[in-house]
Amino acid sequence: MDPSAPPPTVNSMQSQSARYGVRHGPKVFWLWTAMAVGAIAFSGLLVLAVLAMSGYPALGILHRWIIGAAGNRFNSAASMADACPLLLTGLAAGVAFRSGVLNIGAQGQFLLGALVSVALTTRFIFPGPPWCVMLGAMAAACVAGGMWALLASVLERYRGVPVVLSTILLNFVALYLVRAALHGPLQAADTSAPQSPQLKVIYWLPILITNTDFHLGIPLAFAVAVALAVVLGRTNFGFELLITGLNPRVARLVGMPVARRQFAIMFLSGCCAGLGGAVQVLGVTHFMLGNFGNYGYTGIAVALLGRLNPIGIAVAAVFFGMLDTGSRFVEESSLALPHQMANVVKGVIILAMLVASAWMMRRGSRDRSLEAGENQNTPDQQQVQS
Amino acid sequence: MNIAGESLGTFLARQTVQAATPLIMAGLGELLAEVTGVINIGIEGLMLMGCIAGYAAAGISGSGGVGLGAAIFAGMGTAAIFAGVTVWAAADQIVAGAAVNILAVGASGLAWFFYQNAREAVHRSVSLGRHVGFQSVAIPGLSRIPFFGPMLFDQYMLFYAAIILAVLIWLLLHHTRTGAILRALGDAPEACQAAGVSVRTWRTGAVLFAGACAGAAGAYLSIMRTHAFASDMTGGQGFVVLSLVIFGRWTIPGLIAGCLLFGGINSLQQILQTTRYTSHSTLMHALQHIPFEFFQMLPYVVALLALATLSRSSPGPRYLGQAWRQ
Repeated sequence: MDPSAPPPTVNSMQSQSARYGVRHGPKVFWLWTAMAVGAIAFSGLLVLAVLAMSGYPALGILHRWIIGAAGNRFNSAASMADACPLLLTGLAAGVAFRSGVLNIGAQGQFLLGALVSVALTTRFIFPGPPWCVMLGAMAAACVAGGMWALLASVLERYRGVPVVLSTILLNFVALYLVRAALHGPLQAADTSAPQSPQLKVIYWLPILITNTDFHLGIPLAFAVAVALAVVLGRTNFGFELLITGLNPRVARLVGMPVARRQFAIMFLSGCCAGLGGAVQVLGVTHFMLGNFGNYGYTGIAVALLGRLNPIGIAVAAVFFGMLDTGSRFVEESSLALPHQMANVVKGVIILAMLVASAWMMRRGSRDRSLEAGENQNTPDQQQVQS
Repeated sequence: MNIAGESLGTFLARQTVQAATPLIMAGLGELLAEVTGVINIGIEGLMLMGCIAGYAAAGISGSGGVGLGAAIFAGMGTAAIFAGVTVWAAADQIVAGAAVNILAVGASGLAWFFYQNAREAVHRSVSLGRHVGFQSVAIPGLSRIPFFGPMLFDQYMLFYAAIILAVLIWLLLHHTRTGAILRALGDAPEACQAAGVSVRTWRTGAVLFAGACAGAAGAYLSIMRTHAFASDMTGGQGFVVLSLVIFGRWTIPGLIAGCLLFGGINSLQQILQTTRYTSHSTLMHALQHIPFEFFQMLPYVVALLALATLSRSSPGPRYLGQAWRQ
């Protein structure tokens, strides 16, 4: 066997894109949009019906939720700010899943990115104007996230540790690294909790719309999404990443540097997650806690909802951000409904979405397999390792 | 050196098994599901549902048994949703598992909120009554054996159940026709279908069983080993289970060895965290300079190192993670 062949992994991890039914064309786009709207409407109705049955004013909650998510300038900006980290972790998951790499480690990469950016803006500030420091912090966060992800890729290539597994374990290692740093060198002076000092105001990302939470990181995240859409969808490099994931054997046969492309996928994915951490610190929280959210895991769901397409992921992230902001508004408005409701709604929406898309794919593939007379339950040939 | 009236070794052995019990329990279910070709990364969520259901049911009914039953039921109920989406609608298992995790975080948070309100409304305490949770069960005679007694025969009821279950599943998988079918479901579902075995029904059964196991493991956390609930109480143990099943290369002895290794290192690091301040040895004193987070990190690092150094073999069930369309 070709010595440069990738090691056997937890199998069936290849050809993810085929499994998720990533296809292009206006018809697919409209079908998907209709399906997404349908799934969201169905889930909303389901949740509201359950709420109404348990004695809540369902319509009042819906009304509050919408006002909270997008009722005015301030709330809309808050939704965008909530969407920002989800967008970047969603892109991280999307880039990897699209090429068949199961990177579940966006959480750890996000945390490390946040940690590095906090370190470079509180304790280890290198001399220079504030914008320079912030830029450096974000770049370093990208690299930190990317290297952390790369570690998983290297472990798979040279030691045969499946990426799904190593990224999960590395998430925990990153979590405790972060807590150790926040208890140690980065701890704020006036507390015993694992918590960094607050950033100086000059190192906060500038607010673009006055009196709201709309910081510079939000357009930056969207710019990253657009850039990724161009690179992945319109360049040779992006195509190579896709083929490497879809079918490494074909990629090798046509002379693509498979190993380097697989590393590139992971690095790019980790970069997005790391940048997400930096933007969250510099733009929103302005300090870091030992418990810094579950953005990495939610990113996987965002990526699916956006069909692993950077623009779709942006839309999905904004929607999730609105769900979060709206639910907090509901919680504050004396309706006695905790904001955890948002997670329930998210879960139901993704499950409804999965069922709908699986149903659509099945219809599509049944039509095609009837035409081609192929048996679609045959696993990819390249999985059967010699 | 003694801790809580026991020698260090005995204490460590007992703690190791206690820490490994929920991992073994949830791992057995997940292993069976993965053998049939279904990977459920929502195991963390299933355990969390088991935690809150067990705790709330035990608190309301005043009976630990009811709590355990409710936890198993909650785990199976959540797993049924997962099975419906992945096995029957043939949707992607990884994403469905991630969705189950998100759903469970939300649902358990809501349930905890409502439980607190309900207890407050009837002026009762949120914490469990004194005799509601489970206590460890010492097997008469055997538990007197030095070292092995406390380790293996003075444990919680769920440990005994897990061991019996492990033996049963091992026998089932390797010595019965049913086991052959179960393994074939993950390796050659097309052969199963040709032989007239309903792939989807069998896989659903395996996923529901995994849900029951995960629910019971959750109850172990909230009403057996500790009698409390916290919103993030599973703390990633579900993900650990997931990796231990792969770590053990889908074999039951491998899984149990992995769980004991993980539980052992976890217990050891907890003991080290405290003894380094009470002990008189210079080695222990040197450890005081290491932040305790590095001790907490240890089990994960060891797991990674073990994976990286062990020879790779057995890529696992061929159709793992792939939907079956009938």
